[in-house]
Amino acid sequence: MLSDNFITFIVLGPGLAALIAGLFQRFIGDRGAMVVTTGTVGLAGLFSIYQLFVYASGAGGAGHVEHASLAADTGHAADYVGQHVIKLMTWIDVGQFQADWAIRVDALSIVMMAVITSVSGLVHLYSWGYMEDDPHKARFFSYLSLFTFTMLMLVTADNFIQLFFGWEGVGLASYLLIGFWYQNKAPNDAAIKAFVTNRVGDFGLALGIMAIFLVFGSVELEPVLSAVKENAELVPLALAEAGHVREIVVPFLAWNIPALELIGVLLFIGAMGKSAQFFLHVWLPDAMEGPTPVSALIHAATMVTAGVYLVCLVSPIYEYAPAAAAMITVVGAVTALYAATVGMAQNDIKRVIAYSTCSQLGYMFFAAGVGAYEAAMFHLFTHAFFKALLFLGAGSVIHGAHHEQDMRKMGGFARYMPLTYGAMMIGTIAIIGLGLPHVWGLSGFFSKDAIIETAFAGGMNGVPYAQMAFWFGLAAALLTSFYSWRLVYMTFHGPRAEVDHAHHDDAHGEDDHGHDHHHGDPHESPLVMLIPLGVLSIGAVFAGWYFYDAFVGHDYKAFWDGAIYAAKENTVLKDKYNVPEWVFWAPLVVTVTGFVLATFTYLFNRGVGERIAKSGGPLHSLFANKWYFDEIYNATLVKGSAWLGNTFWKGDKKVVDGIGPDGVAAVVRWGAKRLSAMHTGYLYHYAFVIIGAALIFGAVLFWRSGGAG
Amino acid sequence: MDFAILSAVTFTPLVGAILILLIKMLTGAQVRADGSEDERVMYAGLLFSIATFLISIVMFLSFDQSASGYQLVEEMNWFQGIQYKMGVDGMSVLLILLTTLLTPIALIASIGSIKHRLTEYVVSFLVLETFMIGVFCALDLVVFYVFFEAGLIPMFIIIGVWGGVDRIYASFKFFLYTLLGSLFMLAAVVYMYLTAGTSDIALLETFSFDKGAQTWLWLAFFASFAVKLPMWPVHTWLPDAHVQAPTAGSVILAGILLKMGGYGFLRFSLPMFPDASVLFQPFVFTISVIAIVYASLVAWRQTDMKKLIAYSSVAHMGFVTLGIFSFTEIGVQGAVFQMLSHGLISGALFLIVGVVYDRMHTRDISAYGGLVHRMPVYATLFMLFTMANVGLPGTSGFVGEILTMVGAFQANTWAAAGAALGVIFSAVYMLTLYRRTVFGEITNPELENIQDVNIKELICLIPLAIGTILLGILPNLIFDITRESSLNALAQVAGG
Repeated sequence: MLSDNFITFIVLGPGLAALIAGLFQRFIGDRGAMVVTTGTVGLAGLFSIYQLFVYASGAGGAGHVEHASLAADTGHAADYVGQHVIKLMTWIDVGQFQADWAIRVDALSIVMMAVITSVSGLVHLYSWGYMEDDPHKARFFSYLSLFTFTMLMLVTADNFIQLFFGWEGVGLASYLLIGFWYQNKAPNDAAIKAFVTNRVGDFGLALGIMAIFLVFGSVELEPVLSAVKENAELVPLALAEAGHVREIVVPFLAWNIPALELIGVLLFIGAMGKSAQFFLHVWLPDAMEGPTPVSALIHAATMVTAGVYLVCLVSPIYEYAPAAAAMITVVGAVTALYAATVGMAQNDIKRVIAYSTCSQLGYMFFAAGVGAYEAAMFHLFTHAFFKALLFLGAGSVIHGAHHEQDMRKMGGFARYMPLTYGAMMIGTIAIIGLGLPHVWGLSGFFSKDAIIETAFAGGMNGVPYAQMAFWFGLAAALLTSFYSWRLVYMTFHGPRAEVDHAHHDDAHGEDDHGHDHHHGDPHESPLVMLIPLGVLSIGAVFAGWYFYDAFVGHDYKAFWDGAIYAAKENTVLKDKYNVPEWVFWAPLVVTVTGFVLATFTYLFNRGVGERIAKSGGPLHSLFANKWYFDEIYNATLVKGSAWLGNTFWKGDKKVVDGIGPDGVAAVVRWGAKRLSAMHTGYLYHYAFVIIGAALIFGAVLFWRSGGAG
Repeated sequence: MDFAILSAVTFTPLVGAILILLIKMLTGAQVRADGSEDERVMYAGLLFSIATFLISIVMFLSFDQSASGYQLVEEMNWFQGIQYKMGVDGMSVLLILLTTLLTPIALIASIGSIKHRLTEYVVSFLVLETFMIGVFCALDLVVFYVFFEAGLIPMFIIIGVWGGVDRIYASFKFFLYTLLGSLFMLAAVVYMYLTAGTSDIALLETFSFDKGAQTWLWLAFFASFAVKLPMWPVHTWLPDAHVQAPTAGSVILAGILLKMGGYGFLRFSLPMFPDASVLFQPFVFTISVIAIVYASLVAWRQTDMKKLIAYSSVAHMGFVTLGIFSFTEIGVQGAVFQMLSHGLISGALFLIVGVVYDRMHTRDISAYGGLVHRMPVYATLFMLFTMANVGLPGTSGFVGEILTMVGAFQANTWAAAGAALGVIFSAVYMLTLYRRTVFGEITNPELENIQDVNIKELICLIPLAIGTILLGILPNLIFDITRESSLNALAQVAGG
């Protein structure tokens, strides 16, 4: 266990680095900003990885966690074991509403800290190469570190308000980085879309936090979660009846809803926004307008997993909110399948991986929904490595191909960039979850199969929709394998596509910035970009195997150590060992099927895929157009609010002003004309205004008070 | 009685105004051939407003944060049992500080951009400052009323003389709305004085009017405060007033004058008419939520930068009423905080608009675009205040919004949900504004040579930026001061 100073450094260091790089770039220059941010985050990454290994070996090796080490150095009696809180400052303290700036360390945050800082450190390093020619390097690195800081604040919050700070903070960083190339239209549109869609989710999260405060009279994690675990008797504020927390019913809008269900659903709406789940997923593909390292860090490995983290964090609530949990299962399963269908029909290399991210997040959610939070966290953990690897690999391809992102214009790149090709192969094998049941596989195999098995186990135990999630997950696994290999074949294999130079420049505004376009053969990326690929490859290969027992295997209780809670009835994680033998083999079968299909259509018969696309069948159109979500939202929500805004504005001018001041003024003018025939001077004019208007206003007031009573 | 510090704070600007007028009379007007005036008069005014700020710091330091009740009280018989009585509690002390901070900033911002009738301009601002401070420290109903109404006149003049093209229409509308509201309040003031036999605010807060009278008194005060705040649907004067007012006028208008409405609710409506306040809670909630959603949507459709921010002010004031009428400590504390925070943020946003207006002489959003390429520092500050206005955690905008919503949620989930909807829209209109003015390529050739913010503008913006972030990270600096006064405002509602 690291000491408080080290942990504080891990969390606050990147924030400080962001400030220095952002405010003092004139003095330290681009290079200084890069050194400061990369150095700080890299160091934080080393500390966090060390912390994770020490923690995991303590849990796995000795078979128990040294609780003493976790709780002892605070001197305050941790209410649940394995939690250690470093209080930094009081933030808000109004009545019962108390929120501190604090760093909470438990198994969940140790895992998240390791993921965030290690991937972030590698992405910082990678950006030295990728952003080499960009004129705004200091700004870029400052934003990256700012993101890292806010994300760390999110996962180490000891109350929901600091969590919300991190939650919106990463949204800000994401907004700034998606729109990093602000001179172009597309990144700006995408940045606003991302921020606003996330705000829709935050709307749910904020209401959820309000509901938590209403029911528990606190916004701190510890009291809220232990009250749920112990089914404590509570006297909620104003709106609800007192009672045991699991039975409390609160009125919300027009309904009376069990408190935990309400909180569960509202928090999940927040999670849907941040993690791009079905209905609120529309921003994630567009977010690919940002520089590719950003996509790897924020829109693959870390920020988008915040929703999964949140659900796992409040696992006690979902354990006693079956309807909310069922909602998570359904939305997760639908997203997993939906995004995979769309991913099959995209031609932009980054968008394929973006939809793949969306789909994998769906897996994590339905795992959490059926009660296997540990499996969700495990997949989050392994996914971070292989998805960051895929994105950085794609970035390397884009970099090497002079900022081409359309896979139709690639092909045969393997011989130009063998190392990138190798890294992408590892990433692909990891994400499709290839492995031999009971023997060994890459990271994705361990985590994804754990999810599919627990979903099946949940189905056996009668967990609602778990059966459905299992089949959806299996189907999505087939599609995952298909689109992943499609990507590899289209990019690296086959003949090199004829590059249409004239068309190239306007095809994609994104990575087109200040680069001198030395068109020519694709080339391998510099070492500074290859090193992160190498490190992530190690994670993609071994992380699943190494951490399986700790995360979801026999040692999971000791490892999570109370950070994740399961009700007595929830045994899915143990039951995954008892599923029928075919369930272990089914993922392998579908994965190989997907591989064979992709190999047939995109390697041996390269024309087949294009012919399918050109024939424009309804199913292909549906997938290629992302099921028309953007079009539908535009026609209804965007146009609708614009219409409302315009109408209200006209209402202001015509109705309110017409009856109010302008009407009065008109009456006055009319009256004044009459009066000025008889009198001169302004006194009368003035008095008339007052009397006439007073009468009207009095009438309005009278009518209003009647309306209000 | 010790040194009458409150009177000193209140009347220093007025004394300054009189001195400036005297000097001008003695030396004769220094009007140049082109009609502009010697700028030294601006610095003289600035001197007095800074002196006022320093005195208000002394006042703040002699204020005991932990004590309840009114402090630094000054009393003097005026006439007919009406006292000249001044005193402050936590809430008013901070509003005074906000006033004394924003007035010098407003004057600094005017240097160079106002050229005509400088003396009158400076005098108007100083007189206005006296009246605004007076409102916040008056402890006698009649004294309060005098300050409250008198404040109208200098603002009317500021808009009417130094405003834009349609300034006459705007100032007339402003005057009409606010004056009409006030007439009802005057009647109520007279009635209260006759019934209770005193006009001492501290005594009136414990006097219980009967329920029928409360209803009408509440409505009479409401008419005045609702117009000032402004609440929907009596908000339409605000966009016009802002658009026409000079930058400094907008800063004061949004930063301080609007807060008088919220202050009035807390000082009068809640403690003096608790039953009526409870009775009208659903009504206030309804129009607050309408204000938030309606104004946010309208703001989105604006093509004029100032109008957009004006509508955004209407929406943000909706949170204030929402918090106050939640009758919870959290809601009221949040509302007071929201007022202070909005004073900083909206003041800053109007200054931000003023910066480019001074250079380009247009507020039309479509005339801009790509400012970031020429004005990086400006873009950074604009981003900060945009995010603060959007209510991003870590800025002061967040704290006020979340607390008022938490308070409202306890009273009515519809209100909280409606307000939260407004939070979504705030992101839409602010980010759209920012993107259309600052991001993108420069398309308007006139922008090619635009200069970044200068020292004068930085002096105005930096204190507000620091305040916005400081209060966002350590809002308890405020809550510790306003706690007692917030509880005091609630004492009658909660107890009765």
